[in-house]
Amino acid sequence: MAKYFGVIIDEKRLAAIKGTPLEEKVEPIFGGALKRLVIEVSDELGQKVIEQFSKARFDARGFIEETPAAFKRLVFKKIVEKKSLGPEVIEAAVAEIHSIKEEIAKEDRELPVPDIDISDVLELQKNPVQKPA
Amino acid sequence: MPDVRIKTLPPPHGGKLVERVVRDPEMARKLMEKCSAVYDIKPTLFKGNPVRNVYREIMSVCYGFFSPVEGSMTKAELESVLEKRRLLSGWVFPYPILFDISEEDFKKLKVGAGDWLLLRLKGEPFAILEIEEVYEIVPGDVAVRTFGTPEKNPEVVKAPFDQKHTGYNIYCSLNPIILAGKYTIINEPKIRPPFDRFWYPPKRSREEFEKRGWTTVIAHQTRNVPHTGHEALMKNAAYIGDIEPSHGIVVNAIVGAKRIGDFPDEAIVEGHEMLHLAGYIKPERHLVTFTLWDMRYGNPIESLIHAVIRQNMGISFHMFGRDHAALGEYYDIYATQILWSKGIPSFGFDAPPYAVEGGFYIRPQNIAEFWYCPKCLEFAYSGNCNHKGIYSRYSGSFIRGLINEGVTPPPQIYRPEVYKVVVKWWQKFGYPFNNEKYLKEREERLEVDLPHMELPAHLKK
Repeated sequence: MAKYFGVIIDEKRLAAIKGTPLEEKVEPIFGGALKRLVIEVSDELGQKVIEQFSKARFDARGFIEETPAAFKRLVFKKIVEKKSLGPEVIEAAVAEIHSIKEEIAKEDRELPVPDIDISDVLELQKNPVQKPA
Repeated sequence: MPDVRIKTLPPPHGGKLVERVVRDPEMARKLMEKCSAVYDIKPTLFKGNPVRNVYREIMSVCYGFFSPVEGSMTKAELESVLEKRRLLSGWVFPYPILFDISEEDFKKLKVGAGDWLLLRLKGEPFAILEIEEVYEIVPGDVAVRTFGTPEKNPEVVKAPFDQKHTGYNIYCSLNPIILAGKYTIINEPKIRPPFDRFWYPPKRSREEFEKRGWTTVIAHQTRNVPHTGHEALMKNAAYIGDIEPSHGIVVNAIVGAKRIGDFPDEAIVEGHEMLHLAGYIKPERHLVTFTLWDMRYGNPIESLIHAVIRQNMGISFHMFGRDHAALGEYYDIYATQILWSKGIPSFGFDAPPYAVEGGFYIRPQNIAEFWYCPKCLEFAYSGNCNHKGIYSRYSGSFIRGLINEGVTPPPQIYRPEVYKVVVKWWQKFGYPFNNEKYLKEREERLEVDLPHMELPAHLKK
């Protein structure tokens, strides 16, 4: 059974593939709120990816999820380099995992907090409907 | 014409709600006098990381979430649960509830059947264990028999459990000596913020339902910050009821040690609360609660403990979705729905758990899934929407992956206010998910503070 690896495409990543055949393969999800590229891999290769990371797993849709962001960046880099969405992209990324080892370890300890104003939710929480017992 | 509407909440599982909490300090002192030793509760560790804390089981037993269970199980009770998923009294109960202790600690304590053991938490007296029996287990064997195997349970178990499964690791990491007997809390813990406002143990939840005039209530099991698919599930599932939709939707979060990569419990309970604070569900119809339990991720087996907990809370219906309380691909993705629609004979259920001897009053609502459909322009039910190839399915791990990459989930996935709750706790813990640091720190602070209570002189030695 095939497995899938999805890479979210933001503006920066879209710019990197603009004008190439890859651009046509970008698919909208959640009504176009997000865009992604999908790589189909064999069950065996999917399993190989899962084994690289303690948290990684297949989700109910058959997608390989919970791989480190550093690995997803590496996969995208390989997509651009090879101009392909074939399994060789994933194989190449797996072969180079050693180069991102430190990034992955750091990612397990800290992730930069997004710069978002949360004052409105703090205000809503000032008077909770459910009071402490 | 007779009025046949549902007028009362379901009875507690086992017929009587357990409450083993002593609130009178003088009585507590007298009980402590009867103890012959003191033991400091320690978290269960797997590869150095906390995966369980028996204090949560003691809390859930003593506040009645696990009624009719009153303490750590005897050898005969354990065997009955593993073989038939029944207590010796015949009531359905899915998991071993055990007070385990190392051989070294057991030798030091010098206690046996008939002795009372004072259990200390955070350095303060917490509960008493009236030791009825002492016996040994083989933790790996308990683990395998708890979750099942493809050979013994071919209806739903697809792969042998291994160390990638958090619940399996919990049982494998138990100490080999079991002290069986009843628990009594003698120093009532104070629930810490933000959990305090969500603490509705069965007696209190039943009082709350009565106060609100609820007789039909549907439970939503969660270990997640709610995405819009969860919200659609809750709102639509609540259309089940009696002559009108359910009066209440009760979110019951499972709070405890969870797997690395799940959301912190603080974000989970506040994320659900935000749905009513921000107006997406009327607060009159929505109650956020939690139960202390270190999730076993046992899918159909876990659904049984959920039924025990929620029926005890006074809940009449329970929604069960795809991959209920699951982790990985060990069970069939619809294993829980198979159990609740026709039973799983190899686990001791020839019929659904509401139709067997010793079973439940709570009724299931087995639901497939909701997805986002750009053509329907809504969060569509998979049983209705036929727009193949264009809808987007929800996946918790996909969403966590987005957050991990620094992508703000769009409103089609998270209500903006709910995502801001994630950010709030991210700011506090420096990380959006459970990691090793968070799990260690939370086991030190736990969800409770213990008031100071003097030890009797004979236990100070």
